[in-house]
This record gives sequence, C-alpha cells and structure tokens, in this order.
Amino acid sequence: MKLHLTGCNFRTAPVDLREKLVIAEGRLPAALADLQARHGGEATILSTCNRLEIYQADCSGPPDLAGWLADWQSVAPAALAPALYSRSDADAVRHLFRVAASLDSLVVGEGQIAGQVKTAYEQARENAAAGPLLHALFQQARVVAKRVRRETGISRGHVSVSSVAVDYVRQVFDHFADKVVLVIGAGKMGRLTLDHLKELGVAWIFVTNRNPDRAREVAGGCGGTAVPWDQLDEVLARADIVLSTTGAPEPIMSAERFAPIAARRTTSPMVILDIAVPRDFDPAIHDGDQVCLFNIDDLQRLRTATMAERLRHVGPAEAIVEQEARKFVGEWARRRTGPVIAKLTADCDARRQLIWNQLQSRLNGKLSDDDRRQIEGALRLLQNQILHGPISALAEETRSGSGTGLIDALRQLFRLKD
Amino acid sequence: MEHISRFCFGASYAIALLAELCASIWPARFWRWFGLAFGGAGLLAHTLFLIAQQPTPAMPYGSLLLLAWVLAVFYLYGTLHHRKLGWAIFVLPLVLTLVVLAGGFTRGSGPAPDWAANLAGERFWGTVHGTLILLAAVGVCVGAIASVMYLLQARRLRAKSSPTSGIKLLSLERLEAMNRRAIGLAFPLLTVGLVVGFAVGLHRTGPAGPWVSPKVISTAGLWAASALLMVLRYNLHARGRVLAVGTLGAFAVLLLTLFLAHPFVAGGQP
Repeated sequence: MKLHLTGCNFRTAPVDLREKLVIAEGRLPAALADLQARHGGEATILSTCNRLEIYQADCSGPPDLAGWLADWQSVAPAALAPALYSRSDADAVRHLFRVAASLDSLVVGEGQIAGQVKTAYEQARENAAAGPLLHALFQQARVVAKRVRRETGISRGHVSVSSVAVDYVRQVFDHFADKVVLVIGAGKMGRLTLDHLKELGVAWIFVTNRNPDRAREVAGGCGGTAVPWDQLDEVLARADIVLSTTGAPEPIMSAERFAPIAARRTTSPMVILDIAVPRDFDPAIHDGDQVCLFNIDDLQRLRTATMAERLRHVGPAEAIVEQEARKFVGEWARRRTGPVIAKLTADCDARRQLIWNQLQSRLNGKLSDDDRRQIEGALRLLQNQILHGPISALAEETRSGSGTGLIDALRQLFRLKD
Repeated sequence: MEHISRFCFGASYAIALLAELCASIWPARFWRWFGLAFGGAGLLAHTLFLIAQQPTPAMPYGSLLLLAWVLAVFYLYGTLHHRKLGWAIFVLPLVLTLVVLAGGFTRGSGPAPDWAANLAGERFWGTVHGTLILLAAVGVCVGAIASVMYLLQARRLRAKSSPTSGIKLLSLERLEAMNRRAIGLAFPLLTVGLVVGFAVGLHRTGPAGPWVSPKVISTAGLWAASALLMVLRYNLHARGRVLAVGTLGAFAVLLLTLFLAHPFVAGGQP
C-alpha cells in the first residue's frame, strides 16, 4: 500500500492558520490537478473549518505534501511545519476511519464530518483524481462511519442547546400542525431555537416584546404575528410552546401570576423553554405533566450529559475502527499480493515443466515409469521449497499490513511482468 | 395443533420480552428482530391454540386467553409500527400475566362450545354480552398500558431526564390521546354489554336473580370506574396524570372482574 496523508486540524493548528489553509470549493479541482501533476498517483483533499487533510496514493516517490501545501496556500513552511502531522499506509487508513466516524472531531459523534468525507471523495472522483486505492478507502470509510453510528451510542442525542430544547418539546408533543408558539423577547439563542421549532411545522407564531418595534421585527423575520406586551397573559393561555429569551433583570412570570393562566388552559400541556439569563419564569411552575419548564441550565446540563454519554462509547468505536482498518489493509494487500503469487507460481511451473520435458527427451527410453514419477516429484518438491520462503514472507507482510517493498522485490528478483 | 400448549406461546412471549429488555440495554437491531420473531411465533401458536381449544369467553380461562390474544396482536402491531420504542416492555408483561393467570382456572368440563348454537336465541345475547365485555376489557387494558407509559414519561420530564436515555416512549400528547380513545371506546361497549347482560339475566331468572353476586358487583364497579373517567375527562376537564391514575384504577377493577367473570355463554347464572 502506498498511501500518504499530511494535514492539520483544530488540535494542531490555531484558527488563524486554519483560515489560511482552507481550500475553497472553487479551487479544489485546480489543487487536485496540481497535486497529481507534481506527485502522480491519486489524490483527495478533505478541507473543512476544523481540518485540512491531503491523501495521496500510489505516487512515484514519497510526496512532499507539506511543501506543496506551503506553496499552494502561500504560507511560510516554518509556520506550517509544527502544525502538520503525517501518516502512512495502515496509520493513514486508521486515521481516515477515525475522522469519518467522528472520533477525531471537536464534538465527538457529530454527524457532519461523514458527509464532508463523502464530499471530498466525490470531488476527487469528479476531477479524476481518485483511483482504485482512494476509491476503496473512502467507500470503506463511509461504511465504517455508519457501522460505528449503528453499533455504538456515539452519535446519540443532541449537543446544541437549541436541538436539546426541541428534543424536550418532542417528548411532550407529537404533532405540531395545530400548535401555537409564543416568543417572548428577541435574544439570539431564541432565534436559533425558533428556527428549529419552525422546522417542526408549527401553526402559529406570536411574538411579544416590551419594545413593539423589536416584536414586529422578530415576527417579520419568522412569519409570525407581533402581540402587545400587555397581552402576554392572554397569549400565554393559548400557547403550547413558549420560548422566552428576554433580557429582563428579574423573572417576568412568577408562580402566582402563572396559576390563573394555567387554570384557563383546558387543552394540551405546555412547554416553556426559558433560555434567558436571568431566568424569565419561576422554576416552581414546572410540574412535568401539564407544564414542562426547561431553563438554560437544564439544557446545558443535558448537553453536557449527552457529551459524557458519547465519550463512554469512544472505546467500542475505536475498537471497530481498529478492526476495520486491519481488515481493509489486509484485503488491500491480498488484492495486491494475490496476482503476484499466482504469477510467480505459474512462472516456476512453466520453467519446471520445460526442464522436465528437456530431461525426458534426453533420457528417452532409459527411465522406467517409477523413475519418471520420482524425478518429477523431486522437481516439484524443490520448486515448492524454493517458493515457500518468499510466499510465506509475503503472507506475513500482508498480515502485518506493512509496505509493498517485498512485492516489488519479488517482481524484480523473479523478473515477473504484469 | 393439539400439541400446542399455553407453555408454547407463553415461553415465546417471555423470550420476546427478554429480547426487548436486552435491546434497551444493548442497542442492536438483532435483539429487536429476535424478539419480534419470537413474539410473532408466540402469537401464531396462541392463535392456533385458540382455534383448537375454542375456549369460551364466558369462563375466566377463556376470557383471559382471548384478552391476552387481542393484546398480543396489539403488541405486534405496536412493535412493527413504533420500531424504536420499547413497546413490548409495556404490553408483553400484561400478556404474560394473563396467560399465567389463565393457568389458575380450569378449562371447564364437557365438549367445546357449539358456536352455531350460541348464535341462536338467548345464547346469542349471552355471546353478545360476553364479547362486548371482552372488547371493553381490551380498551381498559390498552388505556392502562398508555397510562403506565404516560406516568413514566411524565416522571422523566418532571425530573428533566435526558430524552435519549432509557426506554424510548411516545410523547405525552400521544399517550394521553391513546388513553382517551381507549377509554372512550371501552365505556360504550361496557355500557351496552352490561345492559344486554342485565336484560338476559332478567329474562332468565326474573327480578329475584342473584344481582348481588361478587361478579355482578365487580362488573358494575368497572362500569362505574369507566363512567368516572368519562366525567373526569369531559366534564371536569381533568388531564394527564389524573386520567392516567384513574385508568389504572379502572384496570385494577377489571382484574378483579376477570376473576369473577359471568358464565352466560356456558348457560350458567348471571
């Protein structure tokens, strides 16, 4: 296997360096073409906001990927060198599988990286830069990522506050086409959560704010209706989901004020997402049945718990990656060694047969059937004993997943032609 | 078919339940399919058993096995429809309990009931009575299962537990609707069933019949519990936890009633 990887990620390179190294989508075809022109073989570039990795396979010699990157992105080699890491062969395979399975991500278990790996491969394929090795490698990386997600809990749950909030909403409500959302305030986090709620397909969105202009602005942005601040209690009684994100210095809704509002409600339960700091709703309102109140601490706590839970699955996920990497390297090596062994055996068979035929014609009539069997058996035994060493060494190299030096050596020593 | 016993399908349901418990601990698709295969096999054996034995719903033995069969169908449907939920964990214990409880009752002596004869004359109304009560019992059981899930989900929400940890459940809204529909269906069936039973009893034994027997009182108690649930829901607008607890109360009365079931179809006394 001739596979090389050079790259940097959020652990090895600060963000200002990563910004300089990002290869924009429009420049990727030219970058891939340049890589192939310089080093030959196959190439794929994985460029995301958290990492830049260059995979080069079957090139003529060890590629100077660091030098190429410094040239291509006009970065001083001295500044680049400490941030770069390199892997070869089995280590490079293992690294890509870990990346695709999101074990090397900033947020372990996030699902975006698998798509980015797939995109990187497709771009290489469209630009005729991916060959047999990178094709097999990246296809397998997708399979490994799926297996890790399926067999471990590494991607279970959400780790953004707004997604966690929606998870809670889904525990209470089943369908959203008849649901009323009330947005109180206009915080940035509230807008993110509101985007998630809108994706659920809620029926009505009401927005209220002490500042009517801000309420109209937020309502206009989300296709909702602005409601005067003094009608807060009336709208609360109608709302199914409340998103509160004001900057009020003290709670806007005490348990005493909320009690008559709850009494007026005769329909479904209510979910209040209080992501304001300081909190807008009195925590005593929460009963886990008719009123479910979640504040920013609850959502953060769940986010942290989800992260901790994901980390618990890192060990089993690493074991899957290790197993898959060994399997891939072994299978790839077998694909390479199989034809060589077959060719070597066939070549020796042909030579042995030639020698035996010449010997038989020279000794024509002087050998009994038993003599012929003995000599032919001895020649076959000799051939097998000569080939046993090289073939065993090749098999050992295949199992260990090390380089392809022995294959090349055998080709040269025995003058094997493709 | 005569070699199929209660143990066959009871054991299949038990294995399906164990597989579902394993799936909740070790999330692998294998357990779900394994459990589903045994659950399906159990239901098939259960069906064949009922066809072969033809137990009468008038006797506790028959009513428990028929009720268990309807709930097993409910389990299989729910497991296929809600693949990611731990549906079996809530339904199969009830099915297993009913199958085990049925073992405590005798099948009744004599040949299997002649269903053609049952559909004529007074026995026809006896069969209608038994069937309506059985279907009402199914409604109460489904309501009870939904209530247990509701209370568990509400408990998790009250504790603000992670939505992704533990057994996956339906939303509060869905569980409340399931409970409401089940009780809404059970109450009219139970009412009509009781009216039919009362009329048949009156015709057979006259006003001096044994109306104060434990069986009659417990069935009337089940009706009263269902009526109370309807009042709570539609008049007092009680929701969520109150309804769930009330449904579990009605279910407790149902269990009592099942022990004291009416022997109408068999031609006994009300």
